[in-house]
Formats: sequence, C-alpha cells, structure tokens
Amino acid sequence: MRTRDNTKELLVKEVACEILVQEGFQGFSMNKLARACGISVATLYIYYQDKDDLIRKLGIEIGKAYYTEMMKDFSPDMSFKEGLRKQWENRSRFAVNNPIKVKCHEIIRTSSHNDYVMRESMVDLKSIFGLFIRNAVERNELKPMSREVFWSIAYGPLYALLRFHHEGKSIGNVEYKLSQKDLNEAFDLVIKALC
Amino acid sequence: MERQPRILIFKTNIQTREQKRAIASLLNSQVSIESWTIDQEDEDCVLRIVGFAVDKGEIIDLLKKQHFDCIELH
Repeated sequence: MRTRDNTKELLVKEVACEILVQEGFQGFSMNKLARACGISVATLYIYYQDKDDLIRKLGIEIGKAYYTEMMKDFSPDMSFKEGLRKQWENRSRFAVNNPIKVKCHEIIRTSSHNDYVMRESMVDLKSIFGLFIRNAVERNELKPMSREVFWSIAYGPLYALLRFHHEGKSIGNVEYKLSQKDLNEAFDLVIKALC
Repeated sequence: MERQPRILIFKTNIQTREQKRAIASLLNSQVSIESWTIDQEDEDCVLRIVGFAVDKGEIIDLLKKQHFDCIELH
C-alpha cells in the first residue's frame, strides 16, 4: 500500500506554488504538477482530492505560517507604536524570506477560494487585532477611524515597499532593494499620520 | 498505530455531470467505500476512492458495467 512521503509532499507544495505564481490558475493542472515534481499523477492524488483541494490546502498552510509569524512576540496589550512596529517587523520578515509563498497566497486570495482559505487559516487573528486597535483608541494612542482607512495607512506603505522589493525595482524602473532605513522612515511617517 | 484507509486512484472517462451522477449512486451504495471524489477538471478524470476494504477489481468491474473506462493509476 502506498503511504504519504513527507519529502515528496513538501516538494509538491513548493512546485505547486511556483507553477501558480508563474502561470496562474489557467496554467495549473494536476498532470503538469506531477510531471514537474517527477512523480506519478496517482501519487499526487494520494495527497489531494483534486486541484481545488490542493489549492485550498496550500492557501491555508501558507496563511497559517504567515499568521503565526505575525503573532511572534506580539500582544494586543502592547502600546500602539510598539505593537505596530512589531507587525511591520514580522510581516516584512515573512514576506522577504518567503517571496514565492507570499505571491502564491496573494493569487489564492484573489480567487474564489479566498473565503474558505481565510476562514480556515485566520481563526483568532481578527479578534486579536481588533483588541489591539480598541486598546490603542481607549488609551488615546490612535485616532478613531474606519478599519479600511486604518489598514490603508497602517500597512499600505509597508506592502508598497515590499512590492518594490519583490519586483526588484521601484517607480521609473529604478533598481530597488528594501532597507531597514526605508522601513524606519516609512514607519515613522505612518505613526505621525495615525497618532 | 492507527489504521489508515486505502486510497485507490483510477484514470476514467467520466467527463460530464450526468455521467458523474450515474456512477454516484453506485459508489455511494458500496459499503467498502468511505468516500470518493472525481476530478473532472483533470484530463484523466481521476477517480479517487478511500476505504478500509476497497478492492480495485470491484471498482473497475462496477464502472465497466456502466461502460466507462477505468484504469488504476500507480
């Protein structure tokens, strides 16, 4: 009887991410994935029911890894500035170290699988960040504002810098690599805008 | 150690919703089958059967009687 092989399973996930990033959903098939991994289609179906099952599991796994990283040394009781800085550190570290996974997660999040993937991977995250914001507003560390405006200002600049970094270039095709100096500068401006 | 169910994988030509419906009642009535799925988006229309006492010969016979191709994939 065939059993699951963890090394093979890791390879499958890695290659699936690469195919999704390079070719999107249209170019992705179980047959192509099996060929790219050098395994039989049957082996792939031992791990996953079908393409949708694979994509959902991949999205949930990356999501959980990302959210675990977000929570590292973070507490909703932290001061707003300290907590948001920790979020910038955690999010940028994960994004810089896992560029393909992050891109793959973005692709899955813009698909019809998004609701399922978010529901399964986020779990407590919403309430933790909700509490963090409420605490900050109660302590007069943060101006009251809508969630959308908050997110755009608090994280928009971070994700814009990370996008430049992943593309290797910024506006006007200028070569770009993310630096701690740029992160600090952008973070200080975000704090000025929010507090 | 916890007993693991067997997973059998078949290449088929069950391509349409109607064809899937036709085999669904047959597969659902098999006590040896815990669950089954068919990937109709894949070019091999892969049928995946999970069960503790599933027998590949029985599955192949079952589908052949309904005039479907059914080849076990290894």
